[in-house]
Amino acid sequence: MNSPSSIQQAGTATVQADMSRETVEVDIGPSFPIYFDSDGHTLFGWFQGPPADSLADVGLVICKPFGYEAICAHHSLRAFADAAAALGVPSLRVDYRGTGDSAPIDLGADQLEVWRRDVLAAASELRRRTGVRQVCLFGVRLGALLATLAAADCGEPTPLILIAPVVSGRRYVRDLRTTRLAARMGKDSQEPPEAGPGSMEVSGFTLSAATLAALAQVDLKTHAAPATSAVLLMDGKNMPGAAAWAQQLSDLGVRTTYSALPGLIEMIMAPPQSATVPLQMVAAFETWLRDLVSAVPARPNAGYTHARPAASELMTLRSDGFAHRDPLTERPVFFGPDSAVFGIVTEPRPGELRRRAVIMLNAGADLHVGVNGMNVTLARQWASRGYVVLRMDLAGLGDSRKRVGQADNEVFPETALDDIRAAMQLLRDRYAVADVTLFGLCSGAYHALRAAAAGLAANRILMVNPQNYFWKAGMRLDDLQVAEVVRNPVVYRQRLTSWAAWKRLMSGKVDIARIAKIYMARPLLALTSMLRDAARWSGVRLRYDLGRELEEIDARGVKIVFVFARDEPGIDLLGIEAGSSLRRLGERCRVRIIDDADHVFSQSGPRAALQDILTEELFARSTAISFAPLPNKVEKELLG
Amino acid sequence: MTVRDTIVAQFEQVAVEQRRKLARLSDETRLLDSGLDSLSFALIVARLEDALGVDPFDTTDDVKFPTTFGDFVKLYEKRRG
Repeated sequence: MNSPSSIQQAGTATVQADMSRETVEVDIGPSFPIYFDSDGHTLFGWFQGPPADSLADVGLVICKPFGYEAICAHHSLRAFADAAAALGVPSLRVDYRGTGDSAPIDLGADQLEVWRRDVLAAASELRRRTGVRQVCLFGVRLGALLATLAAADCGEPTPLILIAPVVSGRRYVRDLRTTRLAARMGKDSQEPPEAGPGSMEVSGFTLSAATLAALAQVDLKTHAAPATSAVLLMDGKNMPGAAAWAQQLSDLGVRTTYSALPGLIEMIMAPPQSATVPLQMVAAFETWLRDLVSAVPARPNAGYTHARPAASELMTLRSDGFAHRDPLTERPVFFGPDSAVFGIVTEPRPGELRRRAVIMLNAGADLHVGVNGMNVTLARQWASRGYVVLRMDLAGLGDSRKRVGQADNEVFPETALDDIRAAMQLLRDRYAVADVTLFGLCSGAYHALRAAAAGLAANRILMVNPQNYFWKAGMRLDDLQVAEVVRNPVVYRQRLTSWAAWKRLMSGKVDIARIAKIYMARPLLALTSMLRDAARWSGVRLRYDLGRELEEIDARGVKIVFVFARDEPGIDLLGIEAGSSLRRLGERCRVRIIDDADHVFSQSGPRAALQDILTEELFARSTAISFAPLPNKVEKELLG
Repeated sequence: MTVRDTIVAQFEQVAVEQRRKLARLSDETRLLDSGLDSLSFALIVARLEDALGVDPFDTTDDVKFPTTFGDFVKLYEKRRG
């Protein structure tokens, strides 16, 4: 059991690092979240200190890329911070305003300018906390551009470490537009509405009109040389986007080290559960940073004692739309065995008497902010209506430490239930919570279901787009998924009438074995479903019986809500695996469907619909309010 | 190397980097079923601009993303003349 006193503690940690393909123990020093001010707004950052008594006189500000790239790169950025700490270099990873866990941003603001100032604020904060004289700015993609632009106002030549920097804002925006265009592929409906006039939403993250206009004006090749003493510039292998600029910098007399190394795409564009740390880039980073550290004479660690987190470290949300009332607060917490699990609690206003809480679980290996930052938005909305909301990272994901022996980015860790149990205990101990809702998307939905099935004291489970209801030890994410079995036969059936498909079959261009495997699995699944129904009817208890589990969860008074995007395979899978139990449960197992949505609700319209539905279900009295019925087609398919 | 060969090579390269299972590519392959996602296609388009010197999506015209691999190749072949 975790006592309230463990909240907010973060000490020196030892982590397993895999920098040289060997697992080594690395003492990385204190590691904890902080809040700091930037132009009157509160920013969230993560401080990573070096081991005791080894502080260099150089600090590192880590500037994230934008949007989905930042989510994918999170794990790697932690690895860079660890590598810096091992060299004695403290670092501060900053969430720009309106991103991550920082305060919201005005939708019309020029993000490029706001974020550039945020980088400067982070540099000041790092100096204040540690006393280092030299700050190096390290950025990836858009973060690299921000670092370069910020260097001009650092007051002294600032060393830069840049990975695949955005050199031309125009080209960057064009790439984002292509991503957006490709995401609309095959859809006849009109372009989705934007979050604001002239703005652009890409993969669920928005750039304002002012930002797009500012980016169109940025071309580092036409700028004066940045105010820097030395630059380490790394492009992705086969993607020499900054090679010409590097040459230009060198010609201008800037000490420039340039290389094109593997691992960029795997770091910033592979989904978080399969993203990997770019080892060669980390090695080049270490070599260069070591030289930088050795060039700056060390001195006594005058200010380092201030690096410890204050017990009162929290954020006051001034702009939550309720200015006339007390503001909401957000508080970082560590809990669970060894305080390895990290989360942020959004607290309701003082005086809230209803003791209700929501625990938000990771979607895949995305960190606790949720897909498209949705958890942050929802947490603040729900807290403003009286809920205590904890958005957490299971151990090994996001900002939680991994346990000894645990793999990186493990989406279905065996210890997930322990972490959820610890979260519930934390909320009971600190907030006297008596009503708990578990909320998750994709694997988060799975974990919410498993927690309820295991008898953890949840009152409500809100599950969005689960793709599996069982996970057996030893399974891998790229194994044949039951979801594939559900979805693909429909596609193959449609192609039976296609001459082109037959031509491909005859020419050996079709993987017959795979299709056969999927086809054979489908009837097997249906048969299993019928047998499960029969067993349930005759009182025989089977393993992996979703229907029985749902009925048992319901019998304990837990409200069950599924929300799906229309084309999600999890809908059919629910019908197959829960069988006749769904009919018996009726309205006590609610299934809500949202049109025109993708798996992660990356467009603002469907995402707003999801948020409305979740809020409706969260605040509904279970018996007094009636909801719109399911669309006929889905109801027919699911309930028979 | 033909335009088609260059495009196939980029599809394969991106699939490897993003750890995605690339479907066998033929003219009829729907891009939605290729195993790649919108980020992958953006990356492919950016790299093809470097390799082929054209970006068929860099236009003020109302352009839609092709739905099949064959259409994707044709778009580049047409722009390359």
